[in-house]
Amino acid sequence: MGVTVIAIFYGSILFCLVASVYRVVRCVRAPLHLRWELYRGSSVYELPEWWTRPQVSFRAKAKSVVLDILTLREYYHRNRRFWYSLIVFHAGLYLLVLWHIWLVIAALTTDAEKAPVAGVVWGHVATILVGIGGITILIQRVADRRLATYYPPIHYLKWAFVLVTLVGGFYAVQWHFGGDTAAVMAYMKDQLSFNMEHKLNPPLVTALHVLFVSPWMVYLPLGHVMQVFFRYYHELRWDHVPNLGGGKIGERVGSLLSRPVHWPAAHVQSGKTWREVAGELPEEATRET
Amino acid sequence: MRGRKRGRTDSISSESDEQLAHLAAEELAPLPDWYDEPDSGPPVTSLPGEQKSRYECSLDGVSAIGLPRPGSKEEEDRLVQSFLSGLQRLLSQEDNWTFWQQLMLSLDSCVRCQTCNDACPIYLASGKQEVYRPTYRSEVLRRIISKYLRRGGRAFAKLTGTDIELNWPLIARLAESAYRCTMCRRCAQWCPLGSDNGLITHELRKLFSQEMGIAPRELHEQGTVQQLKVGASTGTNPKAFKSIVSFMEDEIEEKTGRKTKIPVDKEGADILLIHNSGEFLSWLENPEAFVILFEKAGLDWTLSSELCGYEATNYGLWYDDLQLARIVMRQTEVARQLGVRRIVIGECGHAHKALTVIADRILTEQTYVHRESSIPLLEDLVCSGRLELDPARNDFPVTLHDPCNMVRLMGIVEPQRRILGRICPQFREMAPHGVDNYCCGGGSGFAIMNSQNFPDWKVSVSGRMKFKQILETFQDVISPDIRKYVCAPCSNCKGQLRDLFSHHDAWARCGIFYGGLAELIVNAMVDIKGPFLTWEWH
Repeated sequence: MGVTVIAIFYGSILFCLVASVYRVVRCVRAPLHLRWELYRGSSVYELPEWWTRPQVSFRAKAKSVVLDILTLREYYHRNRRFWYSLIVFHAGLYLLVLWHIWLVIAALTTDAEKAPVAGVVWGHVATILVGIGGITILIQRVADRRLATYYPPIHYLKWAFVLVTLVGGFYAVQWHFGGDTAAVMAYMKDQLSFNMEHKLNPPLVTALHVLFVSPWMVYLPLGHVMQVFFRYYHELRWDHVPNLGGGKIGERVGSLLSRPVHWPAAHVQSGKTWREVAGELPEEATRET
Repeated sequence: MRGRKRGRTDSISSESDEQLAHLAAEELAPLPDWYDEPDSGPPVTSLPGEQKSRYECSLDGVSAIGLPRPGSKEEEDRLVQSFLSGLQRLLSQEDNWTFWQQLMLSLDSCVRCQTCNDACPIYLASGKQEVYRPTYRSEVLRRIISKYLRRGGRAFAKLTGTDIELNWPLIARLAESAYRCTMCRRCAQWCPLGSDNGLITHELRKLFSQEMGIAPRELHEQGTVQQLKVGASTGTNPKAFKSIVSFMEDEIEEKTGRKTKIPVDKEGADILLIHNSGEFLSWLENPEAFVILFEKAGLDWTLSSELCGYEATNYGLWYDDLQLARIVMRQTEVARQLGVRRIVIGECGHAHKALTVIADRILTEQTYVHRESSIPLLEDLVCSGRLELDPARNDFPVTLHDPCNMVRLMGIVEPQRRILGRICPQFREMAPHGVDNYCCGGGSGFAIMNSQNFPDWKVSVSGRMKFKQILETFQDVISPDIRKYVCAPCSNCKGQLRDLFSHHDAWARCGIFYGGLAELIVNAMVDIKGPFLTWEWH
């Protein structure tokens, strides 16, 4: 069983990393697109000769991203009822991720005897928050007609699986490790070492938890979560860098205009390049009436 | 079949001719209690029998695009295949480089929280008809993609909630549905995750146009094609344009007592000013006001009489990337041939977005020219003290309509407010306003689309929230004896407001008038003898 668990868990982590990198590369390498931004207030276009003006600073962009992600402020402003459950769920999730990161670091750098008692409390609080948030979201998704609209059936299963994963983790920490931070840290240290003995004969409870977590590793780069982060990719949200004709943007535009057009409608003149099509009149416009 | 309250999308495939939505006056969003809305029967008149048998209208009984019914089953099958091929092209980086990235974000990031629903003026105005829910057409598209284009899509369709039957009735309804959204993108502004239903609408329209040759004739044949061929989407050719310029010179002399020579085709000028050509036909006072202001300020400027040089519109923005690019190329070519330093766009919202922002990724070193809005320039003229202005001349209630393309989609929010703050003592804001404004209901081409029974729908549904807002803004001065002005610095918005106010008889009943921004500035100029605004309803 140990080999299977190891293969599934580490395989899922590897998949998560590779698929995430693939999606990021695909996003970054996507062709330059036409601009289609939205504005939450005044922009550089309010200024005469806007192309000479400074663009949005990195600091302003970073602040916006952090506030969006940590506070879910768009939901706070636009859909307050849903925000309450979402913020509880996400706060718990962020704490839970941080807790796992802390566990890894602490296991490698701290003696188990010196493990703080609060370590387990942190994990439990985070788990409970995710659980409360998740259950509330699930109830809202079922009971609130609007939130149920178009919601795919498979997503209800997803929420049920979230809860199963949480319960598995909670049970392992509280009952298998006796709610002892030192025991959890020792287990983590063992997992991070090259000692295969314990890995090949894992306790059922931890093996199950690891197996529950693995599908999430596969889901993360495939689901919408990854796509949501892409919205912060600067070319989608803050693409204010002006094309002044020459330069890198101009070059990229030039290369795109050299691509052939394949759309078949009569007015398009398929087969020619973008530059040719845009530079010529459609047949309808050249025909004498 | 009513059944509109449930979030169902499968009925869109129904082979029956029965409409999915029935618009009823009593279900529309109510106008203010104190406003006595005339009982004028159903919000949208039924299509006459002959049109009904010729055009697809089973979405909501409205035909915006005059989509002909296929003549045979074979033709239906061919059209279904064509739609699927177009959808594949839409999802291809190679074929759809123009908007691929935004489309993928919008398709993948929606979590069906429906937060956007209350942002949509059409959904709200209709009394929350399911087919107008901003996520409706996006959801249908997602399901088709998932079931018909993804591996294993059919096998897991039920589990993934994507079980939808792709057939001609669905495609016909989807094509009409693409023209029930003004692409104001208020829903996108509200989406916490950045999913843009307006963009999905845009991409659907593009699929229909570039793959299947389906587009409203007002946007295509009479719009972009006519603009490229004749010079303007209004059909105004260069000769007619020159006559209009000459007429403007006479009118300006009549109004101001000053003889003015309007610069046309002046080489090497600093500014090439391009207006929406609709101004020259319907609201000549607006380009005249620009002439008066620019001449008074001593700007080095010109108009152009070349094809597309006197027409800022670019209806390609709303349905076809190739047509968009063709028009951008013509407009910048005119500017380069004249050797001007920059193009300044008059009061036309979508032309602002198309030529300034979107064109930015179409131009190369060989075609590049600076482009900017006229609003900051007007602000500079007003606020720098270069014009002598007397706000008392504009001492009547004024409110500002924010054109979506200029404000939410471009971030030009404050200069027009600072101008009105200087010259209109009774300026008042609508609620909501700025980037949260409601669309006038004429966005994305609706202002000029007048076929079949679509005009009814425009004034009854898509413009309803705007009219409600305007009434509420002027509630304390609603008497027809008090003249009120809705300042709309956008030609298409003015077209929609004209239709909307005519429908409600708002000038006669409430004294509500509309016009541009430049006219208000000229009206406040102390060295213009009489009032520039004539308050003549036309």
